[in-house]
Amino acid sequence: MKKLCVMVLAAFLCLSLPLFAGGSQENAEADEMVVYHWWTAGGEKEAIDALFQAFLEAHPGLEIVENPVSGGGGGVMRGQIKTMVMAGNSPDTFQLTYGTGMLASFGEVLTPIDELFEDFPLPEMVKMMGQVDGHQVSVPLNIMRNNCLWYNKKIVDKLAINLDFGSFDECLAACEKAKQAGYAPFVIGAGAGQQFWLGQITEQMILGAPNGGPEYITKLYNGEADPAHDAAIREMLEYLKALIENDYINNDYSALTWDQAADVLMRDEGVFYSMGDWAKGHFTSAGWEPKVDFDYVPNPGTDGYFTLHFDGFSLCKDAPHQDITMAWLKFLTSAEAETAFCPIKGATPPRLDAPTDMYDAISLDILADFRDPDTKIVQSIFAQPPEEYLGVFGSMLSGFMENPDVNQGIKDYAAAYATVFK
Amino acid sequence: MILNTRNKLYISLFLIPACLLVGLFVYVFLSWSIKVSLNDWSTIGRMGAFCGLSNYRELFTNDPVFIRSIKQTLILAVLFVSLTIPLGVITAILLDLGVKGQRVFRTIYLIPLSFSFVASAIMWSWMFMPNQGVINTVLRSMGMGFLAQPWLTSTKQALPSIVLVYVWQFSGFATLVYYSGISSVPETLLDAAEVDGVTLTQKYTLVVLPLQKPATLTVLLLLLMYSLRVFDFVWLLTGGGPAYSSEVLANYMYRVTFNYNRFGIGAAISTFMFLLSVFIIVMPVLISSIRRTRGNRI
Repeated sequence: MKKLCVMVLAAFLCLSLPLFAGGSQENAEADEMVVYHWWTAGGEKEAIDALFQAFLEAHPGLEIVENPVSGGGGGVMRGQIKTMVMAGNSPDTFQLTYGTGMLASFGEVLTPIDELFEDFPLPEMVKMMGQVDGHQVSVPLNIMRNNCLWYNKKIVDKLAINLDFGSFDECLAACEKAKQAGYAPFVIGAGAGQQFWLGQITEQMILGAPNGGPEYITKLYNGEADPAHDAAIREMLEYLKALIENDYINNDYSALTWDQAADVLMRDEGVFYSMGDWAKGHFTSAGWEPKVDFDYVPNPGTDGYFTLHFDGFSLCKDAPHQDITMAWLKFLTSAEAETAFCPIKGATPPRLDAPTDMYDAISLDILADFRDPDTKIVQSIFAQPPEEYLGVFGSMLSGFMENPDVNQGIKDYAAAYATVFK
Repeated sequence: MILNTRNKLYISLFLIPACLLVGLFVYVFLSWSIKVSLNDWSTIGRMGAFCGLSNYRELFTNDPVFIRSIKQTLILAVLFVSLTIPLGVITAILLDLGVKGQRVFRTIYLIPLSFSFVASAIMWSWMFMPNQGVINTVLRSMGMGFLAQPWLTSTKQALPSIVLVYVWQFSGFATLVYYSGISSVPETLLDAAEVDGVTLTQKYTLVVLPLQKPATLTVLLLLLMYSLRVFDFVWLLTGGGPAYSSEVLANYMYRVTFNYNRFGIGAAISTFMFLLSVFIIVMPVLISSIRRTRGNRI
């Protein structure tokens, strides 16, 4: 009897292994949508919850299977999605940065959704950003402006700093004033594996450089530039070197995350902070009031330019619930969806006719610039270049921060460029 | 036990599940990884064409970050093992001496081993902060601000700082293994040594420690295994920076595969890591086994 039990147990162990296999595709419910995103912090979570709620109210009887994956500005989630997609186990949709470079990485696994853009008033440049091989593959949900130089308004007013920065030199003069008064003039947070913020910060320097500008940035991100000889790269490195050597940058920049660097301004210890408009959400969630405690100006030399990317959602080719996901994406193109999401997130809506009365003063400034037909829209470092661009240049620039030798920096920059665009 | 047919059947049945699992999750996936490393796969989608050893050639001839990550992985492994083992031996001896408060000390040494790596990394990243971190703050408050360091923010200090965290996390493990080994030394040997008039130091250096070879081999192999595939502390503390100064193989493999979408190259790095681990870990075991065999023959 004992031996029989032992044999049955052993046989069970052998035969039970296949029971642990099997994918979720076969078990997918008919009326649900599986979505992945990385909005897990602060106002982001409330914003996506409000968006899901609004969608479900418009489509009763459906269910959303939410999979939030935090970390790395979406890098962790994207890594997980890549393995799922290549294993033939795609979700229905996932959050993805809306821009030509990022979308091109995923182009093979996304379904064209051109029909959703027929009644979606967007600037033509923005529509182009969401295309792969001439087809729209993603729906943008919220604008993220990158060329924002945030400042502590109380300190700037106290020191009577002139914010009309036409050039790097004028910004450096303002930094000197702040330094003399005992403040950290130019705060950076690029620590804990977040060196990629250095790429984002220097993007605005290249954009505002005398030989930079939107056309050069576009060329740079397309792999058509020659950093070893282009003047804009030298100008950017010279400016960065001046910030470093004059001790305008906080000495613990390599230990702080981006939000910890924003906190330096909120402790009234720092004056300027170059970061995208998502910093506004961080400031307001900590109790700061727009245009009272903080405000922004375009980075030096970038007035009239609007560097941006968006968060978007796409339809996976192997999505188990195609119809429901198309309904979701159609909903995202509506003013209702943008209004449910953007004010809570602290972002601004891409629809040119979306209502604006629920946004704060800074968001209205950003919207006004975005909707101005004379504004030059530029794809940001998160949107246009290949995905590896941020990581490669983040590492390269972190080396320059420690040893700001411009000539060596140009060689390293060119070498990093060749790595990305070989 | 008599190995008749029935017993052999029972043994086989119980071994089959483990063999299937190891076969699938180790050898089948390893083979798949080697296959991927021989293909040009650099898009999210279908695998590219067969390209032979060109991914390996690319890594060894045209990728300075890969070469640097090999060196830094080996430096980390050497520093980690050479600091953790002596520290484990010393604390095990101190515990064996039966100092007052021994149980408290033992608990203190073993606590880091129970921390999750993520919790440890976050705690140490705060401690290492140049301005607000507790290490530099305490030094400044004691009038020793000149000793305050940039720690993780410096290209020269990032890797040693990570080694320090690893040693802190694992020295308790080495202590545990050596304490167990030292405790199991036969009393008769120690009594005989005392009768021969050895000093306390000679007792440990001539009698106790030579008997710790099995413990040393165990600790050495396990620490080497951990250090060659180190990822979590490096990723969480520095991300491999500043400027690749703390980049190690596992981090670089993850970055190349999941950030750069170069799946063939990433698989080539993982295959190289496997071969490196086999060489570094299996070799000491083989040498030890050969020596033991020769010793038995004599």
